[in-house]
Order: sequence, then C-alpha cells, then structure tokens
Amino acid sequence: MADEDRRKFLKVATCAIGGGVGLAIAGPSLVLLADPAGKVTVTGPTAPLDLGPAEQFRAGAEPRRVDVVAPVIKDAWTSARNVLLGAAWVRRTAPDTLMALSAVCPHLGCAVGWDAAAGNFLCPCHDSRFSPTGQKLTGPSERGMDELPLQVVDGRLQLSWVRFKLGQTTREPA
Amino acid sequence: MKGALDRFLRDRGLAGTSRPATIVGGASFAYVFGTVVTFLIAVEAVTGIALAAFYAPSATDAWASVAYVQDQAQLGWLVRGLHYHGASAIVIVTSLHLVQTALYGAYRKPRELVWWLGILLMLLLLAWAVTGFVLRWDQAGFWANKVEVGIAAATPVIGDAIRKVALGGNDYGNLTLTRFYALHVMILPVLVGALIGAHIALARKLGPTPLGDRVQPSAPRWPEQTLRNAIAIAVALALLLAYVISVHGADLAAPADPSQAYDARPLWYFRALFELRQLAGSAEKAAALIAPAIIIGVLAALPLVDRGPSRAPHRRLPYLGGLAGLLAVLGGLTLLSLTSDARDEELAKRVDKADQRAVLARKLARDNGVPATGAADVFFTSPMAKGRSLFATRCKGCHDANSKDRKGPIIAPGHGNRAWIEGMLKNPDDDAYWGRTKLSRTEGSMKPFSEMKSPDLEDVIELLYAESGATDVAATKRDRGQAVFETACSDCHAREDGQAGASAPGLAGLNSRDYYLSFVSNPKSALHMGRDKSQMPRFDRELTLLERDALAEYLVWLRTATAKDLAALDPY
Repeated sequence: MADEDRRKFLKVATCAIGGGVGLAIAGPSLVLLADPAGKVTVTGPTAPLDLGPAEQFRAGAEPRRVDVVAPVIKDAWTSARNVLLGAAWVRRTAPDTLMALSAVCPHLGCAVGWDAAAGNFLCPCHDSRFSPTGQKLTGPSERGMDELPLQVVDGRLQLSWVRFKLGQTTREPA
Repeated sequence: MKGALDRFLRDRGLAGTSRPATIVGGASFAYVFGTVVTFLIAVEAVTGIALAAFYAPSATDAWASVAYVQDQAQLGWLVRGLHYHGASAIVIVTSLHLVQTALYGAYRKPRELVWWLGILLMLLLLAWAVTGFVLRWDQAGFWANKVEVGIAAATPVIGDAIRKVALGGNDYGNLTLTRFYALHVMILPVLVGALIGAHIALARKLGPTPLGDRVQPSAPRWPEQTLRNAIAIAVALALLLAYVISVHGADLAAPADPSQAYDARPLWYFRALFELRQLAGSAEKAAALIAPAIIIGVLAALPLVDRGPSRAPHRRLPYLGGLAGLLAVLGGLTLLSLTSDARDEELAKRVDKADQRAVLARKLARDNGVPATGAADVFFTSPMAKGRSLFATRCKGCHDANSKDRKGPIIAPGHGNRAWIEGMLKNPDDDAYWGRTKLSRTEGSMKPFSEMKSPDLEDVIELLYAESGATDVAATKRDRGQAVFETACSDCHAREDGQAGASAPGLAGLNSRDYYLSFVSNPKSALHMGRDKSQMPRFDRELTLLERDALAEYLVWLRTATAKDLAALDPY
C-alpha cells in the first residue's frame, strides 16, 4: 500500500513537472507569435501626399488618374521609399473646388476606371458604375466611390490617403 | 469519462493489452540523457516554429528579420536565445549521453545498431547547427559558413559539386539562404526525427544496460524512470533559461558584408577542429577532413573491438581510456583555441570594433528600418551617413582641425554661416581659413577687410550668406549689402550665375549645395580657384556624381550643425 501511495505521488509529481516544463517552453513562443497582432506593422503615409501644382487640373476636364506614392513605408523591418499605394481620380468640379475619389472600388477593392465614352466611372470586376462625382449608378457596389481629403498649400495639391472598409453601405476607415 | 475512454481504446486493442514496460535493473538517473536530448530537440521545434513565423530567407531581408525578432518583437530575444543556446545544450547533453553509454558498455553486442544510429544522429545534429548559424546572415554566421563550405569544397573529386549545391550556384546570395533554410527546417528535422524514432524504438526493445555485471531488481518505467527523466528535463531547462536570460538571448553581429573583413570563428563545439587546422599549418585542409573521419572511425569501431566477457568499466579500461583520451584531446584543443584568442590583444581590438558596428547597425535598424536594398545599407540610414563617411575618407586629411597635414581651410560645424563669413572677410589668411593654402603665399591672396565698419560689414555678410539659399535671411540687410559689394568686392569677384570675377572666384550660390557640388567637382575651374592657385584635386575624376552630391549635402548640413550635433551622430 505504501509503495502504491509512493507511485501515485510520483505520477502526480511527473505530470506537474511535465506541465510546468511545457508551459515554460510554449509560453514565450506563443507570446512572440502574438506580437504582430498588437502593432502597426505596415505604416501608412503620415503627412498628406504632394500631387503637384493644383492648376494642372482644369475646370471642365475629365477626371485624371494620379498615382498615390508614399515617400516612406515601414513594413516590419524594412523601410522602403516611393511605395505605390494606389490611385485616385482627381477633377476640378468648380473653378475653385477640386475633388479626389479613391480608385479603390468600395465593393470588393478592384481598380475603378474612367469610361470616357459613357462619361462615368466603371469598375471592370463587377460592372459597378459611378457618376463623375462618385454617386453609385448601377451594379453591385453597396455605396458610392470614396472621396479623399484634398487641400491646396502654396498652390500645390495635397492628398490624404485613406483606405475604407469594403462591401458595406457606411464609409469607415479600414 | 476516463472509464469510457479506456473502454473505447480497449475495444479496439489500443490499450491494456501489453504489459507495463519495466526497467531491467531498476530506474536510474544515468538513463536520463537520451530523454533530455529528445526534449531539447522539442524545444528547438517549438521555438523554431515561432521564429519561422518571422524569418525571411532572403539576402536583403534575413538579417533585418532576425534583428527584428531580437530587438523589437516581444520576448523574441528569449525565444531566439532558447533556440540558439538550446543547440549548445543539445551538444553538451549528447556528449554526456555518449559518455554514459560508453561507460556502461551499452554499445556492446546486441546494441551496436543503437550506437551507430546514435553516432549518425550526432553528426546530423551538428549539421543542423551549421545550417542554422548561416541563416542569421550576420558577419559571424556568414564568414563561419564561408570557412565551413570551403572545407567541404576541399573534398577530393566531389568538393566543387558540394560547394555549388550548398551555395545554390556560384556565389553567396538568395539561393544560399533558401537552400540552407530548406535543409534547416524541412530536410534535417524529418531525417533526425525518423532516425531518433528508430534509435529510441531499438533502445526500448533492448532495454537499458545496468552498470557492471551484477543482476539488480527491475522497476516499472512509469513512473519510476519517467519521474527521473522529468526532473532531469526540468533541471536542464532551468539551466538553459537562466543562461539565456543572463546573456539576453543570442548575439547578432553586423549584417553580412563580403567587403568587411571579419575574424570568423566557428560555433564553440567546432573549436577543436578549428584549432587543429591552425596547428596543421599547410596541411589544414587535409586535417579538417581527416580528423573528423578518425573520430567517427574510433567511435564506430568500439562495439567491434570491445567484446570481452565483462561489462564492468574496470575490465574495459583500454577502450574507455582510448575514448577518454580522444575527448581529452578535443577538450584540450578547444581550450587552446579559446585561450589563444583571449590572449590576442590585436584580435580583441578588432572584435571590439566589430561589436561597435553591430550595436550601431541594430540601433539604426530599430530606429529607421532597414532599406529595401539590403541590410548592409542600414548604415546609410544615419543622417548624412554617406557624406560623412566620404568626408572622413577623402577630405579630413586636408580640412580637419586636428589633421597634422592640413593644407586647406578648416571645415567644421558652422562652416559657411554668418560668423564663418565674418572671420573670412576679416582675415582670409588666418590659419583656420586660407592660411595653409598655396594661395595665401601668392600675390593673388585676398586682402583682409578688418577696417570695414559695422553696418556695411553686416550687410555684405548677409548678402553672401543669402547666396547659400538659407531661409533665415534678413532681406533689407541683404539688399543694402549689394551696394557694399559693388564698392568693396566687385573689382575682383562676381555674383552673377556662372560668372568668374576679374581676378577671384565667382560667388554666385556661395556655400549652397549646387556651389559645393561644382567646387568639389573641379576647384581648379576658372569659376572657382583657377588653375594655379589651388592644390585641391578634382573630385569629378575620383567620385561619382551621387557621391559628390552627398558631400555637398553634408557641407550644407554642417552650416547649421553644432559640434554637439556632430558628436551625437555615430562614427560614420
């Protein structure tokens, strides 16, 4: 009986040690694996992006596609320069008003293009159409195109790049 | 619940059918080493999977991703430290396992196959460590690997093929890393896992070998031996953790750079071979190939020669003595190598410098990120790094205040600011200005304007200062300065773009980036010093346009910098 009690104690002790050892090893590894979840691992542009002189966008002209290029993007350990983030459609809607629409389709994120013949925007993936001011016309998109903040500083046009959540009627930054 | 599970398993012949395993001769702490090695390999697997979730096997990113784990990810240093030093622990415990097996005579018939499998496993574990060391792609791993692959390439007949296969082509690069990574995380784990399975299965089938020839009572494996194994595992882990925490993970040298010499040293368990190569002199390549073959041969031969009737250690002294001698030689060579390094003062200086580079590289990687062009370019993320390093190598000799052979004006923080211009006007031939130049000893040297009165002097200073393109110019002063310039300066100098003065340099854009670029490119041009008045070489024939521009950018930066700003930057 005493021997059986001893063995029982030994079994419990073995399992306790085993559990402790397992925890000591798995713990730090799991903490490390969870690290990126709480971080901004890929940075976005911190300041508005320069699109050049505002006067190049003339009243009455069709929307013009501009590349959105961030000067520096940090991706985990890498720091890359002049990273192409996407595109925007810019147009002068009134003599002193400019408008920029994100070329990211609010439906599923394809690149929206300008259909010059029809005079409106067309997303090639699922045929969503949008008016020149970005209003939803036809197709599956849940909302109109997303407008991006613009400002003119010293005659130069500056764009703030924002990504929005896709596939929903409300406009929320992603 | 437990009853139901037992019944489920028993119904399918999966439980309760075999007798509980017993340990012939009783449980012992002498039998724990194999289990501890297996556990440590499990530690490598767990930490290795976590590390693989961060590691990028590419020549541009590998170092940066390792530095990210070590210096930025939470507990990354601990996981990496456990992984790196765990390999050392494996080597130590495997050696203890080997010694215990030999002492107890457990390699003898009928257990030869277990022993030979063990030797093969030991070699694979060492190969595993070698393939891991290069992955960090720092100076230490890179140069150690160069030596290791160099040794393998000296193998007769197939050497060159081995090198090409290992490197993935003709030279170190992306394919080198992807290959060693595949070996390290795919091929070797599967191979070692399978062989350990066979090693354990055979060892279990044959049971342990008690010490000596006396028959002792047996005991059940569970929990008698299992508890002893668990205690040994806990002790090993505690020691490993304590060590890893005390050294804060594993070291990481500066990024791999084929152009930067480095004192390559192998992992400590290859030190004996390293020392042997040093001692072998011209026969080093042969020694590096033959010595391991002899060691493996001796170990493998033990079960074939040790066939006497008794297992007792004192009756097998010749064999155990031989093994002890072999281990003593390896230990002695290791000590010799470590002590000769420790005594080498020149080496200590180089190691110190390499350590400083590593600290700097890791700080810059943490602060600025690593350029997409590769980890070695991390040094150029420091402000003005390129300009400063070019200045240090190409300009300092003639322009630094502390240079013994200075031949030109001192270039230091504040160069080209208002105070500098004032000092220049008041005494151009001062020692800090043109005093040491060839020009100052000629008739063409500029006359001092020490008698110029206060408002005029300030106005012309502002005018010249404005040429640099500085943004803090007082416009009224500058405009008044034009009249002063006309009366005092324009006989010799000119201020129009691209115009040389009648007998002295053109001053358009003085001390601006464009001006510096043009001056550094060709100081002897008519626009600047003229052919016979300057000893400064033309740098358009020595430096690229980008390099000259980096220098010009640095000189502009110096105008607003203080000595403290400069000292705050790293040594580049």
